[in-house]
Amino acid sequence: MNEQHIFLRPTVLAVIAALMPVPSIAAGDIDALKETVESLQKQLEQVQKQLKEQEEAAASKQDVQQLQQEVAEASEWRDPNTLIHMAGYADAGYVDAEGEDGSFTVGRFAPIFHFQYRDLVMLESELEITQNDTETDVALEYLTLDYFYNDYVTVLAGKFLSPVGQFRQNLHPSWINKLPSAPPGFGHDGAAPVSELGIQLRGGFPLGSIRTNYALYVGNGPELKAEAEGAAGETEFEYELDGIDAEAFSSDGDGEKVFGGRIGIIPVAGLEIGLSGATGKATITELEAVSIDAGFLGGTAEDAEAGISNEPDRDYDVYGADFALQWRNLDTRGEYVKSKVGNESSSAVAEGAEWESWYLQAAYRLRPTKWEGVVRYTEFDSPHDSADQDQWAVGVNYLFSNNFIGKLSYEFNDGQNGSTADDDRFFGQMAYGF
Amino acid sequence: MQSTHKAILKSLATAGSLSLIIALLPKTALAADYPAPGDFARGSKAWAENCGRCHNIRGADDLRDDQWITTVFHMRVRAGLTGQEMRDILTFLQSSNNRPISASIVRTSAGSVADSGLSGQAIYNQTCIACHGADGRGTLPGVPDFTDERGRLTKPDAELLRNMANGFQSPGSPMAMPAKGGNPALSEGDLGNVLKYLREAFGT
Repeated sequence: MNEQHIFLRPTVLAVIAALMPVPSIAAGDIDALKETVESLQKQLEQVQKQLKEQEEAAASKQDVQQLQQEVAEASEWRDPNTLIHMAGYADAGYVDAEGEDGSFTVGRFAPIFHFQYRDLVMLESELEITQNDTETDVALEYLTLDYFYNDYVTVLAGKFLSPVGQFRQNLHPSWINKLPSAPPGFGHDGAAPVSELGIQLRGGFPLGSIRTNYALYVGNGPELKAEAEGAAGETEFEYELDGIDAEAFSSDGDGEKVFGGRIGIIPVAGLEIGLSGATGKATITELEAVSIDAGFLGGTAEDAEAGISNEPDRDYDVYGADFALQWRNLDTRGEYVKSKVGNESSSAVAEGAEWESWYLQAAYRLRPTKWEGVVRYTEFDSPHDSADQDQWAVGVNYLFSNNFIGKLSYEFNDGQNGSTADDDRFFGQMAYGF
Repeated sequence: MQSTHKAILKSLATAGSLSLIIALLPKTALAADYPAPGDFARGSKAWAENCGRCHNIRGADDLRDDQWITTVFHMRVRAGLTGQEMRDILTFLQSSNNRPISASIVRTSAGSVADSGLSGQAIYNQTCIACHGADGRGTLPGVPDFTDERGRLTKPDAELLRNMANGFQSPGSPMAMPAKGGNPALSEGDLGNVLKYLREAFGT
């Protein structure tokens, strides 16, 4: 039955087709139709090709999920509550001082660690790693816990750089300092305090169109050093003040705190004027040097030490002023500081002393080149003639980048004849801030 | 014994005074997230005015966004910035640390953003003025002087628009101009309006 149907179906179709009227089609119409079909076929092929390409290019659901995961992981890295960051600076160079052989120096490596918890608190700490001959010295430059109390106050606790003046707290890093050396009196053992251990409030606030910044602190304060001389024929040592050890002490020998700070005013962009000071008490705690002439009748070095074992505290005051002016390619700045230790009649060293220093510096960048010229003049006065110094320093810098600087400088030093303060010096230095 | 009592009393007085000072200071609420977003335009101005007070200005693309957070908080303490100034500067730096895009990779990155509807002058005053200055001469050393007869504006529109859209490093400038001046909301039309304003206001 089924086979018959299969056989009859083409026959019936052939009969029907034969009985249908045949339309008359011109040859031109057939050609046009043919072209249309070919055109449609080409378009279809193009669409199929594009579809295939899109399918290949389109991200699958799995791809999207993987991408979402990667974005989430990136966010984890970017947005944790605790951030850890290391900054700092390093330098290496060459120094050739009059009367000495020139030497390459490793300079210093000063990493600064930042550990921050949200916008609440940050631990900041800078180490200073230096090499002295074959020995490596590590010092804690500063370590503070910075509590961001509000928009205008940050509370710092710990060891901090002295906010008296600008050089110590902001300009001394070698990638910032435009000359390889510190101005005389602004380094260690100079006229300017170096660091302090205590509590500090820092911040800024606007006064109308004028901007201000401030730093106020209370700390353990410095200690004083004395020197003793036993002259021939004398029966008692003669003492005098040797210096102020104005670095942070982790204990307060005399129980007297020092209060100080700085206020900076920025009346117009590019100009900052600062006034700073500190006041408190300080005590002689160390005998830096003892010289005993032959024929001295008073005793030994131990006796000299014993002579300052019960020193009273005495007045300690610091005054400072600074300015900075940037105008186009010119950068000028200057600073004055005076540290004063008062007289004390009950002390083995009755007479007080003063250390004073100031400098003016100008730097000019030859744009669009990367060269920069620098000149600085400094005068440093102390109770010791051998340390007093007038200095002209001239330098040429090449800024490989804004934080990688090559420096060449020459210091014309004028001090007591025969002292190191009188020796001119040549410096070469590479400094990198990171 | 008396001196011991005196020392204790002095210590207590010092600690008490400090606590009192801190307690009396007005406390602002911490940001909902940290740090709260700042203002881009104010940030670029604060960045231009503050960083060079002590050191050479670092380019925005020197650090990643998260590195800028700790760095700017550190600079807040060092430079005596207010919290708002710090947030503004951070917003500016984080928006500007995308490097200039190579023209061979992207011809213009501005096309898909809708126009802001602002005039060229208004956009300039918001986004460009901190570095280029109200007078077009540049507020920072190394930033081009638009009023220079043989300066940047002698270049054809197509080149200038490409640099504006993709960012550009001027020789001697402390940082590269970020793409669209660091403001991703600007459209191609906005950039055209800014260029038109530059030519009208500073061109010769």
